Amino acid sequence: MAPIENHRAGKTPRTTAASPVEDNTTKGAERELPVTGLGEETTPEPVAELDGLFVTFRRGGQAVPALRGVDLQIARREILGLVGESGSGKSVLGLALLGLLPVDPSPAVTGRALVCGLDMVRATADERRRLRAQHLGAVFQDPMTSLNPTMRVGRQVAEAAGTESEAIRLLDAVGVPDARRRVDAYPHELSGGLRQRVMIAMAVAGEPSLVVADEPTTALDVTVQAQILELLRHLCDTTSCSFLLITHDLGVAAQVADRVAVLYGGRLAEVGRATDVLESPAHPYSVGLLKSRLTLSARRVGPLPTLPGEPPDPRALPEGCPFGPRCDHHDDACDMALPPLIAAGRHPGVAACIHLGSVATTAELPESWAPAVKSGDAAPMAVRLLGIEKDFVIRHAWRTKDRLHALRGIDLTVAQGESLALVGESGCGKSTLLRVVAGLLEPTGGTVELGHGARPQMVFQDAGASLTPWLKVGELVGDRLRAEGLGRADRAAKVREALALVGLPAEVADAKAAQLSGGQRQRVALARATIVPPEVLLCDEPTSALDVSLAATVLNLLGRIRRQLGMAMIFVTHDLGAARVVADRIAVMYLGRIVEIGPAEQIVTSHTHPYTKALLGAVPAVGVARSPLRGEPASPLHPPSGCPFHPRCPIALESCSSVDVPLVPLGACSVACVRASASAPRPKEVTVASVT
Amino acid sequence: MAGLLLRRLGAMVLVLLFLVVVVFSLERISPTDPVHSFLGANASKAAIAAERHKLGYDRPIVVQYVSYVRDLLRGNLQMSLRTRRPVATDLVAYLPATAELALFSLVLAAVLGGILGVTTAARFKGAGLFRFLTLSGASAPQFLLAELGILLFYRRLHWLPATGRSSLANAPRGPTRFITVDTLLHGNIHGFTDAIGHLILPGLCIALIPAVSIGRVLRSSLVSTMRTDYVRTARSKGLREVVVLWRHAMRNSIGPALSMGGLQVGLMFAGVVVVEEIFGWPGIGLYTYQAIPRSDFPAIAGITLVLGAGYVLVNTAVDILQAVADPRIAL
Repeated sequence: MAPIENHRAGKTPRTTAASPVEDNTTKGAERELPVTGLGEETTPEPVAELDGLFVTFRRGGQAVPALRGVDLQIARREILGLVGESGSGKSVLGLALLGLLPVDPSPAVTGRALVCGLDMVRATADERRRLRAQHLGAVFQDPMTSLNPTMRVGRQVAEAAGTESEAIRLLDAVGVPDARRRVDAYPHELSGGLRQRVMIAMAVAGEPSLVVADEPTTALDVTVQAQILELLRHLCDTTSCSFLLITHDLGVAAQVADRVAVLYGGRLAEVGRATDVLESPAHPYSVGLLKSRLTLSARRVGPLPTLPGEPPDPRALPEGCPFGPRCDHHDDACDMALPPLIAAGRHPGVAACIHLGSVATTAELPESWAPAVKSGDAAPMAVRLLGIEKDFVIRHAWRTKDRLHALRGIDLTVAQGESLALVGESGCGKSTLLRVVAGLLEPTGGTVELGHGARPQMVFQDAGASLTPWLKVGELVGDRLRAEGLGRADRAAKVREALALVGLPAEVADAKAAQLSGGQRQRVALARATIVPPEVLLCDEPTSALDVSLAATVLNLLGRIRRQLGMAMIFVTHDLGAARVVADRIAVMYLGRIVEIGPAEQIVTSHTHPYTKALLGAVPAVGVARSPLRGEPASPLHPPSGCPFHPRCPIALESCSSVDVPLVPLGACSVACVRASASAPRPKEVTVASVT
Repeated sequence: MAGLLLRRLGAMVLVLLFLVVVVFSLERISPTDPVHSFLGANASKAAIAAERHKLGYDRPIVVQYVSYVRDLLRGNLQMSLRTRRPVATDLVAYLPATAELALFSLVLAAVLGGILGVTTAARFKGAGLFRFLTLSGASAPQFLLAELGILLFYRRLHWLPATGRSSLANAPRGPTRFITVDTLLHGNIHGFTDAIGHLILPGLCIALIPAVSIGRVLRSSLVSTMRTDYVRTARSKGLREVVVLWRHAMRNSIGPALSMGGLQVGLMFAGVVVVEEIFGWPGIGLYTYQAIPRSDFPAIAGITLVLGAGYVLVNTAVDILQAVADPRIAL
């Protein structure tokens, strides 16, 4: 990656650059709130400063507050991580700083949002536009929809950078390979990671003072996410930009941010140095968020610790502390008034809680699961896949067509009552495999054998979209009972039972999907799938669209129900943390093949395949330096010969590009890698390795 | 691109063959006897029979069809029963006037529709009034609109002529047979403005309804484009709103409006028949208007073929334009 020119204090490694920045920011917070009690006022002006910012939308004649009095500074050359769940107001805060709040209908805004000395609340549209042109940049979540599909990317970058040559230099600097040629590409011709790099090149064009990055990595694969985060850190260290990194994932913020601000119900819950907030959180919400995070070391013998309840409804926020209804430390005093930000005590930052002293950092652990179901050859099988191939034919104009090889020879057996996670980046074929098992797709080759019992049932990622909007929940859930020939009363009783099993009250049966929250909808989808308990439950990323605090609850629910009903489960996810928690075994997929499979704990702790290692290495975590895998998966249209992973593999041998590698047992796992281990007595691979 | 053109040419041939079948079937179903009207009311039975035989009307319809298509391939569209000239000759005489009017109306519809769509989407001042005028214009039947236009702009205000293509005594006849183009080629500016003046009223009558359809489609697609993430990105770069609209939103919104424009061409051809009759415009519409009551089937078949070919050509052009506007569409 070429360094960005014209930097003022570049070449300073992060570790040394970080400390003065952090000092500035705590002083910034202190100016507002003397309680934090830290030194003198020699710091430069903050790049951006929010001062009592209120933003209130009106929907259907009802006030919907998004931000309720936010005070926050962003110092020069820092990355401020703004963490919050959906509805917390984090994106509205970003748009307010950009002066891009919606205009029709426009929200009521009070307070100040100073950026480089201009108040974005009161400035005219033209003043805001000029400021954006000179001092601001923005990176949004989905790089496919955020780039103009009909304009060459070079021109889009040049619009912000001024000239074509500057655009090439920027694209080069953000790590777009062969930038001189890529300027002529349209966005759809680039991969997701490259598109996001183009967005970032656009955002940092002209060295803005502040770049607002709203969930810049949420739509990306975990290995690409790690690359993009590394790039943001690098840009912050080598240029004069500050970054506001908006994210729902504390882990992402932890990875690169200097400071972290936690937003809840439109109010700041806690602000402090990233290491402080993540290592010794003061606010009960931060504590709960951190505990329900799916890390690679989370306890997996019992249910995960969760935050009770759901994020607040912005139309009906409590008068006092917005977190009150979900808080263990809640008492009458909490409901009296909104808690102000006060010295956190545990760290030099601030937190908004009146019970800071008594907040426990570790809660007692919930009970353990019943002993896990034994997997293995002895148990009767629920699903057996043999040599599954699946090709998709892509037709182009004028009778040309391509074959997309989604699955290439998958052998897999899932025992009754066993839980298996399929893990891999987008395009690896994991969802296709799930649909083949469900019978939604006919495999091109190979056989699917199912055990006895009801056919597999699926739970999808977007629970909202998978529920028919005009049907009542009771009808949706009870649909599969019709085949059973039950009477109306029996059906209603069964529906109540199924809803109770997923923790929903019986009244939900009369509601429609739109009246439910995201977590409730996912529960309804689960009730529908389990009302007639299937032998196999298929889950396609059921938690990836949910907020962090709800994901753990749904995973717990899945764990409990599958044990209670004795179902086998195949769980597709890109999140190794979630896979480790829900699954007995994990299968890692790459370009239509299983490259490693084995007991969950072994895969996480003692894996052998370099791709598994790279995936695990890319999972964001607190206080761990990452060395992301380079590049992106090859297109399944033209999978590489030999080992599909060899073009990105750090330990590839010359022979890897030609020799097809089968899945070979190695200890408790099976691995498809020539270099898996010299200890395993596999003469053929060893000779290949030693020859080269 | 070449593939698309080849496929479209193939499709056009199929469409034209099918159109001929339809016209021939209509001729068979029709109760009026073309030979009867050709010879007049007083012709004797024997004369009619002789003429029938001479014109080939006594042969089976399939044979007539095959011989018609064979002649067609040689460029022979048969004799018109009314004008007693080859239909091909008539079409060459009448077509340029219609083509000029249709193209002018098409451009007018695109321009008016574009203005309507952009102004209402961007909420410019005066957009409401413009929208009111075009909408009310489009809700009136064409003949009423034409009569009102003539009454107001010709009789009362004397701004525009009411009939014909030109007021010139010796309008140029070539090389393109489009009076606007030919006058310009001859450097006759007065003749050019005069020809444009003649085009405005009939052009407006034809263009208003398509303009409103195009405008509404363009508006709704512009409005949804202005809410997209990439427009937000463009705004975040600090681009001026006009630039955002023109450079980022327009090209992404034009597709549905182009499709709508292409579909409206069929309606415009229908409108041409009425409007040419009212404004005495010496074009295909007038020719059709006179051919129908005389059951001049060779003429009707020729007109149908020409209009059908025009429709397919315009829609092929629309497809190409769409691919030019959106690089994701592969031709």
